Amino acid sequence: MSIQKARPTRRVWLPAFFLGLFGALLAARLVQLQVLQHAAYAAQARNELLGDSTLYARRGAILDRNGGVLVTSVDTWDLYLNTRAWRDAASRETTLQKVSEITRIPRDQVEAALASSPGVEIRIAVDLDYDLGQRLIEADLPGVVLLPNTARIHPEGDLAAAVLGFIGLDNTGLAGIEQYYNDILQGKPGRAVYERDTLGDPIPYGRYVATEPVPGDDLVLTIDRYLQRLAEQMLAEAVKEHGAAGGTILVMDPANGEILANATLPSVRYSTLEQDLASASEARSPFKNITVTDTYEPGSVMKVVTAAAAIDAGVVTPETTYVDNGVVDVEGVLLKNWDDGVYGEQTMTGVLQHSINTGAVFMQQKLGTRLFQSYLEAFGFGQKTGVDLPGEAAGFFRRPEDPGYSPVDVATQSFGQSISVTPIQMMQAIAACINGGNLITPHIVKARILPDGSRIDVQPTVVRRVISEATSDAVRRMMGEVVAQDPDGWGRNPAHYTAGGKSGTANIPVWGTYTDDQQIVSFMGFAPLENPRLLVLVRLDRNRNLLTGTQAAGPIFARFVDEALRYLGVPPEKGTRSSAR
Amino acid sequence: MAAINHPLGGARRPIGLPLPSPRVNWAVAAALAFLLFAALLPVVQNSFVTSRGFDIQASQREQAQLRSQIALLEADVARLTSQSRIERRAQEIGMVPAADPIYVTVQEPGPAPAKLPAEYLPDPAPTPAPQDSWWKSLLSWRPW
Repeated sequence: MSIQKARPTRRVWLPAFFLGLFGALLAARLVQLQVLQHAAYAAQARNELLGDSTLYARRGAILDRNGGVLVTSVDTWDLYLNTRAWRDAASRETTLQKVSEITRIPRDQVEAALASSPGVEIRIAVDLDYDLGQRLIEADLPGVVLLPNTARIHPEGDLAAAVLGFIGLDNTGLAGIEQYYNDILQGKPGRAVYERDTLGDPIPYGRYVATEPVPGDDLVLTIDRYLQRLAEQMLAEAVKEHGAAGGTILVMDPANGEILANATLPSVRYSTLEQDLASASEARSPFKNITVTDTYEPGSVMKVVTAAAAIDAGVVTPETTYVDNGVVDVEGVLLKNWDDGVYGEQTMTGVLQHSINTGAVFMQQKLGTRLFQSYLEAFGFGQKTGVDLPGEAAGFFRRPEDPGYSPVDVATQSFGQSISVTPIQMMQAIAACINGGNLITPHIVKARILPDGSRIDVQPTVVRRVISEATSDAVRRMMGEVVAQDPDGWGRNPAHYTAGGKSGTANIPVWGTYTDDQQIVSFMGFAPLENPRLLVLVRLDRNRNLLTGTQAAGPIFARFVDEALRYLGVPPEKGTRSSAR
Repeated sequence: MAAINHPLGGARRPIGLPLPSPRVNWAVAAALAFLLFAALLPVVQNSFVTSRGFDIQASQREQAQLRSQIALLEADVARLTSQSRIERRAQEIGMVPAADPIYVTVQEPGPAPAKLPAEYLPDPAPTPAPQDSWWKSLLSWRPW
């Protein structure tokens, strides 16, 4: 029996061909999806399955030099509502009612927030109190999403706000110490990755991989909160009393450059931060600390620097005399004294006592342009001090190689005109004049405290020696003579401590000329005289009563020094009722 | 029908067949037990890991809550020790800013610095034992 072989007919091979073709296409598509595009589809699947969130690290605290808390962080919640989670109107109604009750956010406000965004997950509140968030979690309401966050707390209110600065919604520092030390303060945020359900909520016991956040370091400032408060109170009173547009009281330890107080007006205030940000302008910005960002002409305070340079170079001594005629001719330009007075024969100490412009020009001309300006550079003018605050300006003074230079420029620089400085630069220079001659970088952070509790102290940085110790002693005593004369009874001489100082009154240049009705007055002083503990700059901007630096700023200096040194436990040197036993 | 009451001749009394004694094949049993153990092990492990994971997550939540409460308490302490609060409290209890202080100059030496209690002081350096005189050391050589 023979087996009859089926002949391949069209009815057989045609379906077989198409089936084979279909199989081949199917296989090719599978290869494409599972082999060639494996990575892309796997990532897409992961993205749909996995959710992630940032775990904010606790931002470091900021303390004053004695450990008083100026800024700290507390945990808060950001509240979102997921509209897709509500299956019916009743569920929505219950949730919104409960949310409004617990958070004390008016129901209308919650409804408005929901209506304002077409999204599914809508933010209702930022930095909700931790306890309120816990109550919401316990209430287990559908559609309520709470993300952990942190908020900054300022226990001292608006104290030192211009120094401390503030942070943005993303917990990044935007101004002040918060900005300058942002990397140190903010730590390293962690990351949580979890399997999520269709609503995006984490699946219980699903995969959860988290990198733990590393908390930021705490910072200990050189600021003393008591002195800061005292400075702010005195400045506010002085601005009001003299009808000034603003001002500064800056306090430094001249031996090591530590800034003990930094009060400025205008200044950012936490209590009105939103309005301050809304009305910010170039002249009045909450982002600025004007002691480092804004420059001014220091006026006669600069005569101290001129005298220090001239004595150090050996061209004069404190007792060197010259005859003041009330005017000095520089390249055909007549430079007069501030009060148009004529003082006759005067020593260099007398030049500082009477603030004689022609005497300052005398010392500058003895030095010569190059040597005088090399001293200005050595004292740090025209360059940043390196203080650890953001936005520092370098200031400027015109040199012979600069366009538009005139010999009058260098002459006027000797008494503080044609030179722009920041208050912090002026402090640094005068500190070098009285601390033995060392230019020290001013700083505002005293130490870092790491999360493990270990402390790293910041050491003072000596930039260079500018003048000799003997010169520094001489200048310190000359400044002491300025305060000790107290000729007009305006009280620049502290009641209980010996002190030295120099005032400055500078007209504000407007469109290349000076006007008599706009001025900046200042007084830079230190105490005690022999072993200075405090260097204080008091500056008032555009005081309407047009009193001079001695008259307006001097008494503030004296009162501040008396109060501050008593607080620091420095025994009084005079003016006390003491009894010996 | 007569009853046959005797054993049938020729026919042997049936002898009971020896039943095979129940012998345990230990190798097989061990293999089965091993397989059973191997099958159950992942289940037990999984259950243990899940239970531990639950405990860890609960502990982490508790830790986070405690950390937050510590931060809140620290902030409360900071608020309570702020200058404005201290000033307010001082005014409430009738305190006023100090007037011009009187400084007293004392000609006598100040009090001796306070001494630390003995338990906080470092251990005293051990005193070396007195050395024997040379003739005593000779005695150590004696044989009795």
